[in-house]
Amino acid sequence: MLNHTDFDLQCTDLVRQFDDFTAVDQVSFAIKKGSFFSILGPSGCGKTTLLRMLAGFDDPTSGDIFIKGKSMIGVPPNKRPVNMVFQHLALFPNMNVSENIAYGLHRQGINKVEIKHKVEQVLARVNLSGSGQKKISQLSGGQKQRIAIARCLVLNPDVLLLDEPLGALDLKLREHMKVELKKLQQEFETTFVYITHDQSEALVMSDQVAVMNHGQFQQVGDPQQLYFQPDNAFVAGFVGDSNKWSATVIDILSDSLQVKTTTGLILYAQKSNEKAFIIGSEVEVFIRPEAIHISQVSTAKADQNQLTATVNNILFDGANSQLLVEEQTSREEIKVKLPQTAEFIHLKKGDNLQISFPKQQVNVFPKLQDK
Amino acid sequence: MMTKGKSKTPLKLGLLLLLCPLLLWLVLLVILPQLTMLNISLQERIAPRIYEYGFSNYIEFFTEPLYWNTFLRTAVMSIIATVLTLIIAFPISYYIAKMLRGRAKGLLLVLCLIPFWVSELVRTYGWMILLRESGVVSSFLQYIGMTEGPIEFLYTDATIMLGLVYSSMLFMVVPLTSTLESLDDSYIEAGYDLGGNGLSVFWQIIVPHAKPAIVSGCIVVFMLTLGNYLTPILLGGKSSLWFTEQIFTQFITRFNWQQGSAFGVLLLSISSLIVWLGLKLSRQSFSKVMS
Amino acid sequence: MQISNCKSLIAVGFTLCITAQSVNAETLRLLTWGGYAPKAVVDMFKAETGIDVEVTKSNNEDMIAKLSATRGGGFDLVQPSQDRIASAQAEFNIYKPIDLSKIDNKLFVTSMLDSTLKSSMYDGKPYGVPHIWGTSGLIVNSEKAADVKDYADLCNDAYKGKVTYRLKRPTLIAFAFSMGLDPFAAYNDPVEYEKIMLQVQDKLISCKGNVKAYWSGGDAMKNLMRSDETVAAMAWDAGGWQLHDDNKAINFVAPTSGALGWIDAFVIPRKSKNEAAAYKWINFVMQPKIAALITDSAGNFTASKGADEFVNAPLRAKYQSSFDTASVDNIKWYPPVPAGLEIIEGKVLDRVKAAK
Repeated sequence: MLNHTDFDLQCTDLVRQFDDFTAVDQVSFAIKKGSFFSILGPSGCGKTTLLRMLAGFDDPTSGDIFIKGKSMIGVPPNKRPVNMVFQHLALFPNMNVSENIAYGLHRQGINKVEIKHKVEQVLARVNLSGSGQKKISQLSGGQKQRIAIARCLVLNPDVLLLDEPLGALDLKLREHMKVELKKLQQEFETTFVYITHDQSEALVMSDQVAVMNHGQFQQVGDPQQLYFQPDNAFVAGFVGDSNKWSATVIDILSDSLQVKTTTGLILYAQKSNEKAFIIGSEVEVFIRPEAIHISQVSTAKADQNQLTATVNNILFDGANSQLLVEEQTSREEIKVKLPQTAEFIHLKKGDNLQISFPKQQVNVFPKLQDK
Repeated sequence: MMTKGKSKTPLKLGLLLLLCPLLLWLVLLVILPQLTMLNISLQERIAPRIYEYGFSNYIEFFTEPLYWNTFLRTAVMSIIATVLTLIIAFPISYYIAKMLRGRAKGLLLVLCLIPFWVSELVRTYGWMILLRESGVVSSFLQYIGMTEGPIEFLYTDATIMLGLVYSSMLFMVVPLTSTLESLDDSYIEAGYDLGGNGLSVFWQIIVPHAKPAIVSGCIVVFMLTLGNYLTPILLGGKSSLWFTEQIFTQFITRFNWQQGSAFGVLLLSISSLIVWLGLKLSRQSFSKVMS
Repeated sequence: MQISNCKSLIAVGFTLCITAQSVNAETLRLLTWGGYAPKAVVDMFKAETGIDVEVTKSNNEDMIAKLSATRGGGFDLVQPSQDRIASAQAEFNIYKPIDLSKIDNKLFVTSMLDSTLKSSMYDGKPYGVPHIWGTSGLIVNSEKAADVKDYADLCNDAYKGKVTYRLKRPTLIAFAFSMGLDPFAAYNDPVEYEKIMLQVQDKLISCKGNVKAYWSGGDAMKNLMRSDETVAAMAWDAGGWQLHDDNKAINFVAPTSGALGWIDAFVIPRKSKNEAAAYKWINFVMQPKIAALITDSAGNFTASKGADEFVNAPLRAKYQSSFDTASVDNIKWYPPVPAGLEIIEGKVLDRVKAAK
């Protein structure tokens, strides 16, 4: 067993059962001190229930939660060393900024002078010095965000829980706040548990990400692992952008698999040791658009999938521009990243291209059984 | 100039026509009766059929301890009834708004509402049937052997209070429930999460949020109670002594319209003053509370 | 659109006015006491004259209040007690003098007619003719309160919370007599009258613990007596006789200091719209046979000459059981109330009500 004290938060076999529905199903994980841990999943995957159990608003049906090695079962929310930033922040509208931040300190019975000092200190750390007397309604979205975090961090919690707090912000501000949150986390060195359905938020900010679906953790790992080595079809499809096809294994070679999509596109994929396939098994195939190399001329190399395709559509989006191309024999449509280089600037609809990608970049998973 | 006039006149006329019912209602049914009452209240009886303007009816109110005490008693009882109503209605509203979901919520609100489908008179008689000496409660207590003889529950101040609180409950529960419903659960959870206990969450988060509803509920209940006539008379019996009863008596049994009008004007102005004081004390503005 | 609306509104208004008027032409609006215009009599009147009678039940104070609000309008005939006619006329000018030529005075008991004409005299003109008379006294449950003989006995310690009476002027007068005072003699001396009233006030305040409730309607009083919640009451004779029918132990008792005699009269309001019908009604109901019907309904006797022989025997028997000759002689008939006395009484009543 792991040593409890290395971890700020640890869950073992956590289950939350509602009448005939299991919201959280046998979840175990441990979060290292001072790390930024995200739980990423689609809505309804059980991540909010999990977070509410961590905060103490809901009790697990079975399993245990440890914070700094102490079991939290039966400990009410106001006695747990965790604090939560709510989805809509829940800043008290009848109090000004200072009073909001001081609320928790008052509850701890700290004297007024010290409270005043601490409030000023935390306001300075979130770059909002002098805003203490402002009303909540006078703050901008980003400022409210920072106050909500300051209100929790001033209490010096072991773990800070964040329930999709960026969801209500507009895109620009969200991008900005991602960076800011990460910085705040590093500065305060507090363990953050962040739940979101936005993979970009999770990837940008986290040290560790857990992908959750149907109440279970599908994969836990750092962002790169999730992106490049997804454990299963769900993670591969949910994290990042992919070309996804249903296919059948048609041949098994010494170090690779040969699969054929429903439209007849034949691809080579790396054979992995963990996943055993037999000929004829149904699989799902994922290839990231940016893993596909395009060129005007054939640059065939060994171990490469090499296809000829016609440009169907150009989706210009600056650095994120993509091409939709059609493979010539199977007429399968493939998403390809379009590098904004001089070579491809004059590319137009109907042009022929060579596309190639290494078989290591082709991920093959057993077909998901729909739950 | 011409075009301007042309374009403006129909609009103004339309607005005026739209406002007509409201203005008529205000003038004919609100302002005019009050002014008439004020006028009557300022007439002193000199001899049969001879009246002169003067303040004697008002002086009478302040010099005759009977009237002044009755008013004071009415106001104090009304304030107590308002506070009691608030204390009882708050947990009920909180339960309806926050604890219940779906059907049960609607059902409980309707249960609160049902007594108001029958008239106040019927409701009050219902209480009398329950509480009188030969009534249901007294008989039941004798039946289970709690008491030897019949007990009279009617005709005490406590009974009046019971009736007043009962008939005011809805006017407190409805605004409170709707306001508490608008309080997002996350505020309450945030309060606990930041270390607050039930008491501090209640006083620092729930009450401030519900304050406008509390104040508006209190104003409505206070005014209804102060102006209640049937409940104190029927449940209070020989000792009821309610200010509206004084007004009724002056008008109907003493034919002293002048004195009755003066009491009416005083009731209106003093109760307005109390409401104003209440608003000042709770630091609420009338427009905010009533919106 | 708006104009047509207006037109239709006006049309509706006119129609209403016309219907109202046409109804008025054949309707007698009568403001009276419960039981004074039984349905049978109203139907007979309609059959004979074609006039509908619209009956509104009321009491002395309410009659004056209603008429003073409209300055004598809204009704065609009212029935206040004879002692309260002249003072109300003096104060509010709500009645018009009675036209004796339109009254068939052969129908009336002469002494009563003379008494009412005299007591309702204002500014040299008579305003009322008598209709029904009766008394106020005690209603006693002889099984539970046999020793209640006079008003003051209601205040005996034995009857704590067990008696009921009205908080109105007859109670003040009754207790004054019972205390050996003579309020009627002081009617024209406000200072002396106030003195008497203040003594009554003290008595009634000290007696308050005995009172279950101050009754305000005959039915409330009867309920209290029937349910044994009270054992003695000050009330009207007719109410006592009705209770006697249900419970033989309860009956009307003429108090030793004298029952208070009242006569309810007919008076025409100043703005009566159908005076002719009013006179027709008076002459109709004073016929002996009709008067006897009303006696059966109201429980009290009328001023109709020769009606007594048509009254059913049980009622006569009950009357006789409550009033022997001495008691009849001892009845204190209300003299007309001088204007202004009611202000004194009003304050006394308020103070009694307010006392703990």
